[in-house]
Parts: sequence; structure tokens; C-alpha cells
Amino acid sequence: MKAWRWLRENAVMIVGILALLYMLTPIFIIALFSFNNPSGRYNFEWVGFTTQYWAHPFAISELTDALLVSIRLAFFTAIGATILGTLIAIALVRYQFFGRKAANLLIVIPMATPEVVIGASLLSFFLTLNVFELGFQTLLIAHIMFSVSFVVIVVRSRLIGFDRRLEEASADLGANAFTTFRKVTLPLIAPGVVSAALLSFALSIDDFVISNFNSGSEVTFPLYIFGANQRGIPVQVNVIATMLFLITVFAMVVAIVQQRRAEKASAMRPEEIANKPAMSLPV
Amino acid sequence: MTSVRRRLVPYGLLAPGLIWLIVFFVIPMYYMGELSLKTGTIETGYQMTWAFSNYTDSISQYSTQFVRAFYYAGVASLLCLLIGYPLAYAIAFKAGRWKNLMLFAVVAPFFTTYLIRTIAWKTILDDSSPVVSFLKTIHLVPQDGRVLATSAAVIAGLTYNFLPFMVLPLFASLERLDRRLLEAGKDLYASATQTFLKVTLPITMPGIVAGVLLTFIPAAGDYVNATFLGGTNQAMIGNVIQSKYLVVRDYSEAAALSFTLMAIILVALIIYIKFAGTGALMGDEEEAR
Amino acid sequence: MPNMKMKRIRLLLIAVLALGASLVLVACGGGGGGLSGSDNSDVTTATGGDPTGSLNISNWPLYIDNQTIKNFQSQTGIKTTYTEDVNDNNEFFGKVQPLLSQGESGGRDIIVVTDWMAEKMYDLGYIQNLDKSKIQNVENNLIPSLQHPSFDPDRKYSVPWQSGMTGLVVRKDLAPDVKSINDLFDPKYKGKVTMLTEMRDTVPLVMAADGVDPTTATTQDWMDAIDKIKKASDSGQIRRFTGNDYVQDMAKGDVVAAIGWSGDAVQAESDNENIAYVQPAQGCSLWSDNMLIPVGAPNPAAAYKFMDYVYEPKNQAKITEYVNYVSPVKGVKEILEKQDPAIANNELIFPSEEFTKNCFNQVSPPGDEAQQQEVEQAFQDVVTG
Repeated sequence: MKAWRWLRENAVMIVGILALLYMLTPIFIIALFSFNNPSGRYNFEWVGFTTQYWAHPFAISELTDALLVSIRLAFFTAIGATILGTLIAIALVRYQFFGRKAANLLIVIPMATPEVVIGASLLSFFLTLNVFELGFQTLLIAHIMFSVSFVVIVVRSRLIGFDRRLEEASADLGANAFTTFRKVTLPLIAPGVVSAALLSFALSIDDFVISNFNSGSEVTFPLYIFGANQRGIPVQVNVIATMLFLITVFAMVVAIVQQRRAEKASAMRPEEIANKPAMSLPV
Repeated sequence: MTSVRRRLVPYGLLAPGLIWLIVFFVIPMYYMGELSLKTGTIETGYQMTWAFSNYTDSISQYSTQFVRAFYYAGVASLLCLLIGYPLAYAIAFKAGRWKNLMLFAVVAPFFTTYLIRTIAWKTILDDSSPVVSFLKTIHLVPQDGRVLATSAAVIAGLTYNFLPFMVLPLFASLERLDRRLLEAGKDLYASATQTFLKVTLPITMPGIVAGVLLTFIPAAGDYVNATFLGGTNQAMIGNVIQSKYLVVRDYSEAAALSFTLMAIILVALIIYIKFAGTGALMGDEEEAR
Repeated sequence: MPNMKMKRIRLLLIAVLALGASLVLVACGGGGGGLSGSDNSDVTTATGGDPTGSLNISNWPLYIDNQTIKNFQSQTGIKTTYTEDVNDNNEFFGKVQPLLSQGESGGRDIIVVTDWMAEKMYDLGYIQNLDKSKIQNVENNLIPSLQHPSFDPDRKYSVPWQSGMTGLVVRKDLAPDVKSINDLFDPKYKGKVTMLTEMRDTVPLVMAADGVDPTTATTQDWMDAIDKIKKASDSGQIRRFTGNDYVQDMAKGDVVAAIGWSGDAVQAESDNENIAYVQPAQGCSLWSDNMLIPVGAPNPAAAYKFMDYVYEPKNQAKITEYVNYVSPVKGVKEILEKQDPAIANNELIFPSEEFTKNCFNQVSPPGDEAQQQEVEQAFQDVVTG
């Protein structure tokens, strides 16, 4: 039967799309309930449609404060982790040196450590050392720490695919190492660096476990949700979560459109376009 | 640049990041190890007594939670593999222009924060939700049963939350697959299934292993899913560690448990690295050889 | 001369190394204040601060209406930051303990914790005594039943914020027969029952239901009750151990009966009108949350002003109307009788003697620190599963 054959040929794609729908279902629920009008404190049953919470998403000051803390934290984390991680990536890819394996190991192990262990050990450390005040400082330190490894991976994969001859050409034309880096290397690995920064930002905003251990009296967005869960999560939380999601969707669409335009301009062959992802995602 | 300076450049580049990791990862681990051998309470202070009993006591007392955590993480990783491989395959080979969009759809849920995604599952798996009613109709769930506050719910949550960590390495591995190998398989009269089993699967094995590790390890230490989606018999070792640190505040036993968890995972990791080399963990097949 | 120079440099080097080494030893060996014990030296009386400066309060969520802080600010000019970061006594203690043991409060002037935690913190030297001359309203208006609690008989350091009862919260429509804590163990409610993670709420009630007087219970009595709870948890009788979130499950009908708090039942009516508080046959547990001034509080003067402000009956009435817990202030019922008779006549907010005749004040496990920890650990093991 024709239908059967179509099914078999497209089986993989169908499974793939189902999987994607599965991934997006909770998001849909979150967005749906941001339009709910709960009668009591809890936003679990559909009562009625309203846009009032979208009209006043920042009405709850503790929530807005927590959100701002999270955004500030993520921003500085992205900067710190990207700088540290990019430098490491460059060293690992470009140079052969003694201790390379050990460095590799050191980068990888934090990613392989459960968050609860990282969070707990950092807490013990901060308490014993008693130098850093538990709060924004310690949160920032912790977030940068667990983001560095991811940055290294992302930038590294971008660097590996990088054509060294461009750098050699630059050197041949008289540029010193620093200028070459600034004008040739950096612009070309920029997409990798940018996606690494975005990844750090996302990981930081999303983080709950490590923050739970090391936040002191500072409240981040996920920590606010955790506390509020006891007494009823306000609808504004759903609104803000949906907003965060939509902002990233928008950013992504912009990036894709940009890339398609750039590729059209440079007239690459179609197979190349299909086979080269715009973002160098982890691993 | 002089030869000496040239040799020092990589160290200079590595220094800031590695020092950060050493100070804020390695040293805390050391302190945690030290703490695990102390005894005392917050009020009386902690003294180093080489209390290995912290380890033996806590491991024997919480062996159930350890085993449960590895069981849940194992099942979740397997499910992630079963769901994630076709998805990654679809994106790598069948997506064409939609590749980036699909990749993004995999990563996007991250931007709504872990907690609220898990809590959303509470709504979806609620006793009176359409999903559960449907499952009851097709008899996957007994009529008087429930999905929330059971192991199934926790495993489902773990699978969902860690799926991207499986899909991305798999995708990277599949993407690097040289299509000509697949064509060669076809030329040699292999069926699609045979090509898959004998060509694709073996070559993407590093990706599979990386994905499994990146899923299993965080899942084993997770406590959020068990907190929201589980009941009284679903606590994982992560829950115990969290409660010992933040509720009971028995820091030395908590440290002993953390270290044990860490050690078990590290052993598995080292075995893998011995087989595949450190580069392979970073997705670098060439280095592995 | 070069020789002298070398010697001097060498000496300097040795001095620096020695200094460095000793610093390292101090940092590592000493074990910073975070984990060392704190000494219970003389308790200070909270003084000082700027009565027109700023105020920082840490309280439980949903424990205040949305007018009081604003009104307080405009009346006194004190810039008030009100943070709802107390979700659980133990969790909060873990958060602030490192600071308090150093004599710092993290900027907090007032913290609100339950009786037993207040006592614990005070015994550790983390709380300051109160200057009673500065809180006349509190002195005059505190209801008699809360004036001499066992943990702070002269109210030296604590001022009740709100009071409440722990008992049964049930879905009247789905579980109409639940009248006693023992009904929670009835197999017909299997999987639809929850208990609180707060040990001092759950275990004494279970003990009382079996005829044990919680105020005189022995460690063994506590352990027996915990054992009974453990069996119920293992068998699936108890669905979960919860904080406040049992109300969510109850609103959906996933849970039909729970150990819960009186104020929640009143507040939950808007989610589901079938949720009601039922006074257990063997009595409830009475508790208060208390305002305390921690050590290192930057502005005790402002804290006193706040305490006095909320002990003004007309101000307290606003809080009670919203929070729906038992008010510790005299004269509130009369005010509400005119404004909001439903609340004034609600037994849960203004309980009569008759209503609470079998109730007992919240108790802690007996014995010293080690014995208490043993019981706490046993309960915690049941809760974490």
C-alpha cells in the first residue's frame, strides 16, 4: 500500500517529529496556563481565559527582583566563562604541550559530576574558607565554574574546523600573532564563541541545584519558583517563563535568517549549506 | 617570539581558566573529602577524627537510595537513547533546511528553567489529567492507580529533562559520518537495516557513549524530579544528600555520601577513558585512535 | 656590598615564606567560623539603630497582607524591605547559621521562625534580648495564652507574629468520616493521604492519637510513632510528605486527607470550597511563629517600631483578615466583628477554649542534643524515603 510505504520511508522523520513534540509539550502547558485565571492560589486547573497576567507580568516585586538577579548573574557568568573557556580551547587545540591530557581531564570531569556534588562541595568550601560571602559572589563563582567546561567544548569544535592556512597567510603578510588573532582568528571563531556565551547564559539562568546550595540569602528566578511552589506559583511565573522562551525563539529565528542571507550572499553549494549547522552546539 | 616564550604561551592561555577550576572545583572536592572524615555538629564544630565510619554507616544505610538512583538513571538513559537516536538521525540526515530549527527545538526548552518544566509535568501527569485518563483507558495504568508519586513519573521526568544531553552528542557524531560510507554499503547490496547495524551504529558509538554518560551521570545525582514527581518511595541518593546538607545539616555524612557518589561515577568514567581516550569524550574520534 | 645584599634578600625571602606558610596554616587548619561552633556568651539586648532608617524583615510566604508594609512605611518613614525567604525552619537555619555564628545577620533586623527554632537559635547565642520599654504595644496587647510560653517564659526575646493549629485538613466531599489522626491510616484512603515534613507537627499528633501525651513522651514513644509512620509510608498509604503544598494536591483531589495547618484550610476555600479543617479528636498542636531580632541586626530601633505597629489592633486586623491565622493581639476580634463578621466568627481564626481544649503546645523530642538528633534523623529518613 502506498500509505505503508510512505510510512516506512519517513519513519525516522516521524519519530523525530514526535520526539520534538514531546520536548515541547511542557512548554505548551506552561504557556497555556499563563492565560489561566485561577480562583485560588494554585494554577493547576483550567478555570478561565484571561490576559491580565500578561498585562502585568512584573506585578510581584519579589519575582521581578529574582528574575533580575538571575539575568545579571547569567550575564556575568557568560562573560567570565566565555573568556576563560575560549582561552583554554585555543590552548588545547593549537598547542602541543606537556600536561595536555591532564588539562583535558580537568575540563571534562566537572561536566561528569552530578550537580548535587558540585553544589555541596562548593558550599563546604565556602563555609570552611569563610572568605566569600554566601550570596551573589558565590553564585557567580559557582556558575562560571560549571560553565567553563561547556564553553571549552563548543569553542573547541569550532576551532578544529578552522582553516589554519588563513592564519598562516596573515602571518606571511607581516601580521604578528596578536594582530592575526584579533583580525583573522577571532572573527572566524566568533559564531562558536557567541554560541558558547549563549550556552553559558542559558545554563546559568536554568540552574537550580547548584544555586540552591550556594545562594545564601540571594534569590534567583528558579529559587523563587522553588519557594513559591509551596504556597502557589503565581501566574506571572508562567508568563515570564513563556516570555523567556519566546525571546530565545525570536533570537534564533533572527540568527537563522541572518545566516541564510549570508550564505546566499557567498553563494555556497547547497549541500554545504545543508551539512553545516549555524551553531556549534556542544560536542 | 623566542622559543621559550612560545612554549609558555599555552600555559598562559590555560592559566586563568584552569586556576579557576582548580580553586573552585578541585579544592572544594578536597575540602569535602576532608569534611567527610570529621565528626561533630554545627554547634560544636567539626573535628578531624578520620571517621571512616561516616562512609560505611551512610553507604549501608542508604544503599537503597543509591541503587534506586542508578536504576532510575539507567532506565532514563536507555529511554533517552531510544528516543534520542532517531531524533538525532532525523535531524542529521533528513532535516535538510530544517536542521537548525529542529536542533533549536531540542535545546529551547532549557530557556524556561528546569524547575518549571518539571512542575509542568505535574500538571500533565496529574491524576485527573487527560493524559492519565487516556493511559487508564488503554490499561497502561490500573483504574485505581496513579502516575504521579510513582517511579514511572520520576523516570519520565528524568528522561525528559536530560534528553537534550543525549541528542546533541549523537547529532554531532552522526553529522560527522561520511555519507560515502553509507553509499558504499548500499553499493554492496546491504539493506537499510544492515547498513545501519554494520556501518552507522559502530561509527557513532563514541557519540552514543558520550550521550549515555552525559545523561546517566547528572540523572544519577538528580533530586528535583524525585521531589516534585515522586512520592515517599522514590527518593534518590541526591535527595538524601540534599536533605543531609540543607535540612538535617549533618555535613560530614552528607560529604561522605557525595564523595561516594562521585567516586562510583568517576570509576565508570575512568574505565571509559581508558578504552576511548580523553579526546573521545570531547567527541573527537580522530584523537581516540 | 653584594654579600650583605644577598643576605638581606635571603632573610626577606625567608620572612615572606614564613608569613605565607603561617597564613596557609591559619586558613586551612583553623576551619573558618562557618563550621566551628559558636560560644554562648552573654546575650546582648538589642539597641541602637536609626528609628527613621531602613528595616529588613525575613518572613514566611503569604504571611502578610499587601497594605501593611506600605502603611508602615508612610506612617514612620522607615524604608522597609520585606523578604519572604523563610520556607522551612531547618532550611532557613541552614541559610543563616554561617552568618549568625559570626555575629552577622545578613542585613536582617527581624526574622520570623517557629517556637522551637527560636529556642534553638537563642540557645546558640544567635538572638538578642528585647528592650521591652520600646515595645509597649506588645506588652499591653499580647493575648494571655501566649504570654508565658515554655520556651521563652518571660518573652525575653520573642514576639509572636501569628499563631496556628496543626490538625487534619480534609476534603469534606471525598473523605467525610475522617475525624482522627488514626483515620489517616485507614486503608480505604490508601495513597491519598499526606503528612507534614515538619517533624514537630506530624509525630506528636500521631503519638496523641495513640493515647501518648506528647508533652511527657519519651524518646522511645517518638521512635515508635515514627516507626508507625514509616510502615504507612512504605506500604504506600502515605502518598507524600509535604510542606504547604498538600493543599495543591487536595484541591485536585489527589489527596483527600492530610495533616495540615488551620490557616491553609481557610485560605484554600477559594481554591476548593470542600477543603476544611477538622480538629482531631485527640487534640491539635498549637504553635506560633515569632519575630526575633538576630545578632548583628543593623537597625533594632526600626524593628521595635515595626513590632509595635503590628501590635496595634487596627493594624493587626488587616493582617489577620488576609492571613487567616490566629492573631496574638487582643482586640482584633472586636474590630473585625464590624468589618468582616465571617472572619470574626471563624473558629479557626479566633478559636474558643472549647475548640482547643485537647490541644497541646508544640513539643520537641526530649533529651539532649544527641538524643534529639537521633529522633530527627529517624524521622528524616522516613521522609526522604
